[in-house]
Formats: sequence, structure tokens, C-alpha cells
Amino acid sequence: MVIDLKRCIGCYGCQLSCKAEHGTPPGVFFARLLKQEEGHYPTVRQLFLPVLCFHCDDPPCVEVCPTEASFKWPDGIVDIDSEKCVGCRACMMACPYIQRYFYDEERYYFSGNGATPYERVRSQRHETGVVMKCNFCRDRVMAGKEPACVANCPTVARYFGDLDNPTSEVSRLIKERGGYTLHPEIGTGPAVYYLPP
Amino acid sequence: MEMVAEATQTNGQLNDAWIPSACSLCYGTCSILAHRLDGVLVKIEGNPESAVGKGRLCGKGVSGLMTHYDPHRVRVPLRRTNPIKGIGIDPGWKEISWDAALDEIAERLRKLREDDPRKLFIQRTTTVTSSRTPIQVFAAAFGTPNRSSAGGGLHCGNGAHLISGIMHASWSVVPDFQYCNYAVYFGASKGHSAGHASCSNMGLAADARARGMKMVVVDPMCNFAAAKATEWVPIRVGTDAALALAMCNVTVNELGIYDAPYLQAKTNAPYLIGPDKSYVRDPESRKPLVWDRVVRKAQPYDAAKPQEMALEGKFEVNGVPCEPSFQLLKEHLKTFTPEWAERITTIPAKNIRRLGSEFAREARVGSTIVIDGITLPYRPVAAIAFRGSQGHMNSVYDFLAVDLLNHLVGSADMVGGCLGFNPACHGHPDTGRPHFIPKAGPDGLMITGIWMAHHNPYPIREPRMPEQVGLQDLFVLCQTSPFSDSSDHEELWDKFHLPYRPEILLNYGTNLLMSIGNKETVAKSLAKFKFIISFDLFLTESSDFADIVLPDCDYLESLDSRPNFPFIFNLPGGMGEWCWPIKQPTVNPDGQQRRCSDILVELADRIGMREDLNAAFNAILKLEGPFRLERERRYSYEEVCDAELKTNFGPDRGLEWFRKHGVIKWPKKPGEVYWRHCVDVRVPIYWEFLPAIREKIAAIAEPRGVKIPQEYYEPLPDWIPCSSHVENTPGYDLFAFYYRDIIHTNSFTMENPWLDEAARLDPYSYTIAINAETGRKKGLKEGEEIWVETEKGRRVKGRLHLTEAIHPEGLGIGACAGHWGDGMPVAKGKGVFFNDLLEVDFDHVSPVNLKGLCRALGRRNARRQGKGRFFQRSLRG
Repeated sequence: MVIDLKRCIGCYGCQLSCKAEHGTPPGVFFARLLKQEEGHYPTVRQLFLPVLCFHCDDPPCVEVCPTEASFKWPDGIVDIDSEKCVGCRACMMACPYIQRYFYDEERYYFSGNGATPYERVRSQRHETGVVMKCNFCRDRVMAGKEPACVANCPTVARYFGDLDNPTSEVSRLIKERGGYTLHPEIGTGPAVYYLPP
Repeated sequence: MEMVAEATQTNGQLNDAWIPSACSLCYGTCSILAHRLDGVLVKIEGNPESAVGKGRLCGKGVSGLMTHYDPHRVRVPLRRTNPIKGIGIDPGWKEISWDAALDEIAERLRKLREDDPRKLFIQRTTTVTSSRTPIQVFAAAFGTPNRSSAGGGLHCGNGAHLISGIMHASWSVVPDFQYCNYAVYFGASKGHSAGHASCSNMGLAADARARGMKMVVVDPMCNFAAAKATEWVPIRVGTDAALALAMCNVTVNELGIYDAPYLQAKTNAPYLIGPDKSYVRDPESRKPLVWDRVVRKAQPYDAAKPQEMALEGKFEVNGVPCEPSFQLLKEHLKTFTPEWAERITTIPAKNIRRLGSEFAREARVGSTIVIDGITLPYRPVAAIAFRGSQGHMNSVYDFLAVDLLNHLVGSADMVGGCLGFNPACHGHPDTGRPHFIPKAGPDGLMITGIWMAHHNPYPIREPRMPEQVGLQDLFVLCQTSPFSDSSDHEELWDKFHLPYRPEILLNYGTNLLMSIGNKETVAKSLAKFKFIISFDLFLTESSDFADIVLPDCDYLESLDSRPNFPFIFNLPGGMGEWCWPIKQPTVNPDGQQRRCSDILVELADRIGMREDLNAAFNAILKLEGPFRLERERRYSYEEVCDAELKTNFGPDRGLEWFRKHGVIKWPKKPGEVYWRHCVDVRVPIYWEFLPAIREKIAAIAEPRGVKIPQEYYEPLPDWIPCSSHVENTPGYDLFAFYYRDIIHTNSFTMENPWLDEAARLDPYSYTIAINAETGRKKGLKEGEEIWVETEKGRRVKGRLHLTEAIHPEGLGIGACAGHWGDGMPVAKGKGVFFNDLLEVDFDHVSPVNLKGLCRALGRRNARRQGKGRFFQRSLRG
């Protein structure tokens, strides 16, 4: 995935379209928007930084998982098999980008009111006692669609494609615009690139 | 179209449908697809078939289901049992039947109408602006002129709408994103946050940024538009007019750059002005005169060729010394030097000079471009203002000063310039409807082709003894008024001998107590109504004052034949497509909720005003031919919507066609988008009519003890300080302002738990922002709870955020938060109630357009008395 920080305006469309797609419980974000100020008044800039699981090439979360619940698909998507997850949370400790969430007990957005009809449908897929995270909307991708955050972004700041194909749009954008990953020194090889603001 | 049609088919055993409709989380009203699975809505996405949003939605739009399925929605009609009304007083709600509710309401309304229909006051929220037709029609049929939108307090752009109307024939302005190379934003967020066509503009602005459009954002706070700017220009709150006037001066007097052919042909710049500041007129035709440089004599403006009209010089006509209005403007601007503006705005003079120079040079005055085979003027610069820069007493001059930049370089509604959105439409190719084009009115000045409010902005109405509770018929330049709720309204009504008092309030979705000003003042006004009927989704702080609350359907349960019409309100500007979507029910209500539109139609019948209602529908929706409603027949609102759609798009494209297809669209033509070049109308760079309007208002107001200050009614704009700029109460040293948050709309969306959660994680949404260094000097700490206090002693509490991204004298508060009622428990206690700091009275609004509620405020630390001098200013549109 490539995220163009020049186009992003911090509208929270990614964070919230992800919620809408997955019905994630309160406090769980497969996609999030961070805001950061750089510099001092008056030479200050405001940076919007959308984050998600970076689907690393060499994912430490997979390595530490004792039950092989965290795994990598052949296409590179890092996923969690909730059947196998025992909720030990070692992966959360291992993830250098803090993009994993532990869903301890059933909770819904209107506390004390149970699940809304929407949540009853959308949240059925979420089991408790396991770790959750972004899987690049693998069901959508398998159905030929883009991940929800990509398809919805009002500024068309997100691109999804094959990084291994040098002629793909994502590869071209990274090359032409000087795309970079966050904290490459960690060495996990993130598959989410940013284009400079 | 195919995708939508295909998607709406059912799928095997599960009833699986994608239904095209329209969002209503803000008034942008983007087109949506609602995914319904076995009767439950499970997803909302943008409708890729529509130009409104183009298949993408903002964070609010995708979160709509959490509002729809909120367990705290009102689901049954309620009647109060406690006759005492006040903040925090339990109404003692009792569930009643719809029949009982409507019987009582109809009986009261019928009696009131017989007595004096003006005693009915109708108020609606801005969020449902697109669905205002039934309210508008009901008011017209009932016979009351008293109709308003609650956003008219704080949120509305009275100056922006008035001046966009007079100068651009539209409700607001945007850069021509497709071609603009240099945009200067003054307190606007077009394409970076909320408001008109907000989601579409986000995509267009991102394209422009990627293309290399330079964007300078003048703003006390660096977020949203300023965060994406090429250059952020921090400015002292409320002084934008001073900067704009200095930039005009640099352009015209220091650089000598202006578009003379534009000024000659498209404005009143050549009109001769006499010593009395008025036009010198032809004795016979009474038309304003211009000086014809070829025949060397004065001619009526429509008798001379524009290129021969003098813009400068001093002349004498029939013994009267006179000069073109442009000459006067040029001289007037000389007083606004960059050095003068630096003292007002805190922006260094050299920067002001540079900004003026960049704007003027980038305008490429004289250049042309070919669009779809038509040669048009190419002026790729835009000066854009909106709510932020004009939310104070100098509202009119402020917006006009900014817009003058566009008119001086000829970029108004030209390719790449500052566009009013969609003021000219030649109609669908099959029917020629809807059709509207600006035209020349009195003195050759422009009349809009279509408008949103009660009265066209020009020609300006004659001021008269007021019969409206908001005094709009006296203060004829205002679009909305605070006087239905102000602390001095009774006094004003007495002074102007208002022949009645409002008795019944019909409220549609408004939370007035939070949307206008301080709650005590508004509460006193609300408590005076003898009876209040409130259509609500939730029990708000204001519904506590209602006598009967009616459970409304939300946008996913409602019908509207025109969610994006008029196009001047929320269809994206620039080239692209005309697009007319509908809003339609996607599910049935889960309780006793009924649609406000249906209830109003039923009430009209019960009151006995069916004929008047049908006549009003015919007039307001411009129903024609076989689709005109018959006088005495009873129509459902669905039938009315069907009639409107068929009137505009032909008998085969009625409601059924739209239910299936969701939207009709057709391409825009260059002659529509860049209409100004093609239509022979002029706009006033010199507001000659203002002094005369003031005299007429003063003739009525001043003998009754209401002073109408002359300085606000001069023909050329000025910078007039607000009281907070000149008062020097020791220690009150900060200017507070309100700004729109990207994930919140009015006071409504804090109840949506997804949006609330995002706002709680955001550093700014629910906090009070103060410059980090300023905060340090005052001994304030990040995250601590502080009180903000005005010189009048009004106070609000909130969590402090120290930031580098704000002017050292500024104090920014986002959104209209700070709910205290129990009816919206998610929203309760979240964020800061900025409006509670505002006085609501004549002394704190613009005496021209009633904009502002300008306020001198202060802040103090929760522990230690500190002082500040603040006033209201919203950053963004």
C-alpha cells in the first residue's frame, strides 16, 4: 500500500471506513489517523499520518507467535487465524509499530445497551480473547475490490497493488515520488509506503 | 447506472440490496449507497455514479449507521407534564399517541392561524438544509414570515452568503480547482474540512495540490486547510480585512496591476460618482453614467462601449464634479499600506507586499485559454473567504475586501479563478430544466438566477417597519438573524412596535440552546413560547423546552426529491457534471418514528390549509404542466416529489425511476461554469447603495433609539476593529475563536460513538488550543483543565492543548460541543461549549447584516486568575 501524504487531509475517512467495514469494537482500530506538529511557531507544519498494520516482509509478530495463529499469506498479507490464537499477546509486544489490539471481552459502542442491529451483523466475526489487526481487507481483495480505506479515501491518497511488480502503480509512485517506510532501521520491511507531504 | 441497478436486485435467500440515497451527517449531502442485508443496514459507502462525492465519503459519512442505530433516538411521541420550563428542569415526559399529538398540535395551529399566522416561528437545523422544502412550503402556506435556521447564530456565513450572492450569484465561493494556480484562503477550509460540497472538494483540492497549485492560508490556526498549505500566514484573529485591503493596495497602486477590460465590462468600476457618494445619473433614464473617452462625454452605462469607459480621471457632468468609482477605490486603497496592515494583523509588511505581488502576477491579466473550443479569460488566482474570516461585526467589509482581490485582477468566475458554484445552469438536455442564469437588474447590476434564502440579495429590499421577529425586513442585508433569541429582542420589538409576539415554535431538528449563543439568553427566549413542537432524533437540551416532541425519521428513513438542489448550495463547482440525486428510505423505522415531511402535509390537512399548501408546493418547486398540483386534492409527500422530478426530467423519470437509478447527471458546459464571460451583467466593486440603505434604516431605527452607525455602511470596504480589538481590560489578552472540526457537524455528531471516539483521540477536537509559548508564560500545563472567561463573566471549562500551530494571541475551540443533557449520553460532557461565551444582542452583531455575536472574552486558569481578551471567530467554512 502507498499513502500519499500530500493528498491526505486528515479527514478520518480511513479510520472510520475501516470501522464501517469491519465493525471493530470500541478501542480497536485496524486503521488510525495520527496528527503531529513539526517545528515551532511560526515555522510549524501539521502532519497527518494514517497508520495501519504494515504487513512487514519479515514480520516479528509471526515469528513470536507460539501457535502459528499469526501468519503470512503467500501474497504477503500478514493475518491472524483467530481459531489458533490463544490471546497470549506476544505478537503485540513484538510489533514495533503497535498495530495489534487484544479484544478481551465483548463490548459495544453504546455501553449498557448491548449490540445495535448493525453490530449484531458486523461484529459476529469478532471472537473475544484474541488479537485483532488489519488484514488489508483480504476478503475484499480476494473479491477483486480494494481495501475499504483505499476505496473510500475522499482525497484518493491511498493506493493498493503489487509491490513485487515493478510496473505496478504503487511501485511507480514509490519510485517517482521517493516513497519511504516508517522507521526502516527496525528492519522488518514494511509493505506500506508513504509519499512525502 | 448499471452498477446501482444491478446492485439493488435481491440475492438468493437473503434480501441483499444496495440502495442509492443521500448522506445527511452534514449539509454537504453526498450521494451514498446503503447496504441492506435482510432488513438491517450493514454499510454505507459513497455512490460512485454520482458527482457528489464520487463514491467516497468523509469520516462522518461512513459513520452514519452509528447515528441511525443509536438506542437513544426518540421513538415515540412525547408530551411534557411539567409546565415549568428551564435549563435542567425535567419536562416529565409522557408517551402519547400520534393521534393525540397531532390533534393537539393541529388545534393549536389552527387557532393561531386564525388569530395571526405570524405568531408561528419555524426553525430548522442546517444539517437538513437540503430537506427544507416541506418546512419552507408549510411556512408559506401557513402565512408566517418567521422562519430561520439555527445555524444562523454561530455557524452561518451571513457575510459570505450575502456577498457571494451579490458578487458571484452563488451561496459561496471556491477556487476553480481544476485550473487555479494560486489560491489565498482567508478563514476558509474549502476542500479540507466541512461544508458545502465538502467531500467532492476534498478530492478536487487534492488534485490541485498534486498538480502544483500554490495555496496560501491566512488563519490564526494551522490545521485543516493551513496544514496542507504551501504557506501558512498566521494572523491576529479578526483582522483579515486589513490584510486583504493592503494586498489590494499593493496590486492596484504599487504594482499597477488590474484587469481594466474586466472592470469596464463586468463591474460598476466606470460608473461616475458624485460628491454625495451616489451615481451621477442620466436625467431622463435615471441610469448611472459613465465617461466615454471617445466622444468625451458622459453616457448611460449601457450606451457606451465598455472599452471606451474611463476608469480613472475627474470629470464634470451637468455641473456636478464626479469620478469613476474605480478612481475612488484606487484612492481609498492608498490608505491601507502594508506597514499599516502589519500593525493590525501582525503579518510583516514585506510578507504582505510579497503576497499581494504573487497574487497579482500569478493572475496573468490579459491571458486567455481555450476550454472545449471556447476562448475564455484565464486568471488562475483565487482569493477565498468563508465563515472564519467574517464571523464578527465587520463581516460585510471583511468578505468584500477579500473578494475585491478577485475582481481587481478579473478572476471572478473566470477559468482558474474564484468561482461562485453553479449559478448558471441551462438544464438537462432533454427538458431544458432546471434553468437559471444570472441577469442584469437595476443599474445593470446582477440578480442571481437562483437563491437559497427568503429574498434575492440584489436588488435590495426597501427597509420597512419590521413585521418579522428577526427584524430582517428592516435590516434588509441580513440572511439570518439572531433577534428571535437575543437578550434584547423584547426591547427591540417594543421599539419597533412589532404588532404581535411569537407564540408557537415549530422546531425541526435544531438544538437552539447550543447553536446560537450563551444558553441563559436563549433559554429565556425559548421559555416565553406558549407552545413548542419539536421534531427530533434525540432529546436535546432544547427539546427539554418543548411541549410535544415528535420522533422524526432520520436520513436513512426519509425521502427528498432534491438533496443537492439548488446547485449553488452543495454541488461541486467547476467543470464536470450536473448531478441530481434523490434521498430515499432505505429501511423502515424501528419505532413509531414518522417523517417530518409527511407530518407537515397531514397537519396542513388537519389545519384546513391544503389549498395553500398545494399552491406553495407549486410555486416553490416550480411545478408545471400536468405535474402541477390541483388545488383541492390531497397529495402525499411522495407524490409531490414525483411531480417535481417529472417536471424537471420528463414523465418517464419520476420517483420510481429515481428510486432505482438514484441519480441523473449530464455534462456541464463551459458557458455555464464560466458564465460571467458570457452573460452581460455587472457587479458592484463600489457599493453605492449602502449609504442610501443605511439612511432608510436609520430613518426608522434612530427615532426609536437604535443607532445605525454610518461607518459600516460606506460604499468602499474598510477595516473596523471589533470591540475586543479596542477594549483593554487589563489581563484579557487572548482572542478566542471557534472553528469547524472535520469530524463534527454542529452539535449533532458528538453523539455518534465512532466520531466521538475519534474526537477523543484527536489532540484538538475536544480541547482548548493555546500557543505553547503563550501557555508557558502563563504557567499553564498541557492537558490541565482550565476556565475560559469573558470580560462579561461568561465562562466555559475545558482541557488545555498547548500547540505550536496557533497565533500567540489566539485561543481556538473546535465544533459546537459540550452537551450537558441526558438525551444524548455519548455526547454529554464531551468537548467545549464555545457558544456559551457569546452575548446575543444588538451590540454584538454587525449593524449591516446582523452577523457576528462579536465578543470580548478572557480566560483564566482554573487555579490562578489569568486574563484574556477574546472574541468569536470561526476559522473555517
